[in-house]
Amino acid sequence: MNIESVAGRALPTTIPAYLAQLRAALHDADPAMVQDALYDAEEYLRSELAAQPGRSEAEVIADVAGSYGAPEEVADIYRETEITVNRALRTPSAGTAPLRRAVPAGTGADAVPPPPAPPRPRSALARFFGVALEARTYGALFYMLLSLATGTFFFTWVVTGLSLSLGLMVLIIGIPVAVLFFGSVRGLSLLEGRLVEALLGERMPRRPTYSDRSRSWLQRIGDMFTDGRTWLTLLYFVLMLPLGIVYFTIATTLLSTSMGFIWAPVAALFSSSYVGLHIDGSQMLPVWITPLLAVVGVLLLFATLHLARGIGRLHGMMAKQLLVRL
Amino acid sequence: MSDHDLHLKKFQKELSSGTVSLALLAVLAKAGEPLYGYLIAKELERIGEGVLSGKQSALYPVLRNLEGAGLLESHVEPSVAGPPRRYYRINDTGHEVLRQWTAAWRATRDSVDSVLEGVTE
Repeated sequence: MNIESVAGRALPTTIPAYLAQLRAALHDADPAMVQDALYDAEEYLRSELAAQPGRSEAEVIADVAGSYGAPEEVADIYRETEITVNRALRTPSAGTAPLRRAVPAGTGADAVPPPPAPPRPRSALARFFGVALEARTYGALFYMLLSLATGTFFFTWVVTGLSLSLGLMVLIIGIPVAVLFFGSVRGLSLLEGRLVEALLGERMPRRPTYSDRSRSWLQRIGDMFTDGRTWLTLLYFVLMLPLGIVYFTIATTLLSTSMGFIWAPVAALFSSSYVGLHIDGSQMLPVWITPLLAVVGVLLLFATLHLARGIGRLHGMMAKQLLVRL
Repeated sequence: MSDHDLHLKKFQKELSSGTVSLALLAVLAKAGEPLYGYLIAKELERIGEGVLSGKQSALYPVLRNLEGAGLLESHVEPSVAGPPRRYYRINDTGHEVLRQWTAAWRATRDSVDSVLEGVTE
């Protein structure tokens, strides 16, 4: 099973060429997965090369094509596993032991035994209220609330880092500060990626981006500044402050308004003056209308959940565009 | 001929999906120290026969999934040879799961063996 694979396209002779071929083979795949696949392949190739001193890169890669797989094979394996993992991680109803579902994690596409039951067509009503049963809804809602804190932090970090590095650039310390700052931005981007994936369900990379190791340290530091990705990440972090404020405001306003509406009849039981619409000190809302308000509140609550999901999806897409590019 | 190969490939794929996870857990449990992807792959290559001798690139996603499922823990250490390496270590949940999987595996293996007994090759 290991020998037949070497046939086909000519094998690359250097590690960067191997990785380039792997990237080309994965060109239509999820960029987050490509980043992980390149990272894994590089770790394996470099370790193999280090374990066999005296042999040329080309020889080592020829061996590796048998054991690790030629780029096209590796691409197929990752693609298949991704499908499996996606299927394993997707929980049809919230909270049914997601942990156990994630375990199978096999290499074959058929690792998850239960065949996906054909989705029953749900009525519009069920779809509208069903949103409350899906874990992702609450993930998105929590992300909206959390984004005020993370947004403020990211914004502060970027603004402080940028101005500190620029300001100190006249002294020589500005240069190491800038390098450290840009390095930290990459780490933060990975961290935000984890948040986005956990809460919004958008697949984000789990490994840092591949950097060409044949270049010197200085060149690689230079690459960090000329890389468009670094600047897009900075843009994302700056955007996070206004976005975080908007998300937080939307979430808290809509949640508290709907909660207020829902509890209006209960409040009216105690005193009719608690509930109502006061214009010029006079009550404009009769008490009998409060049950109606409660219904409106429930509808508003579910509409809010839908809105949170929508915002979550949009934000996930934006994060993917700005934080993950190959 | 190629039809038989196809059947064999499909069978190997299905067989490997669970056994690879089991083997990875076992390798990490036996090692007693954290290992990174390449070392784990080499260890499996050394002892691996049958479906375990498949392409080693398939191991990395499985390692990540096992970590995601909470059976492994990992940390990153810089290396001189290449990118920083991710070292995996089995945790208590992993040990417990491995124990159960091992029992399930042994039971399955024994009954499959006894079913296969006497089948002419």
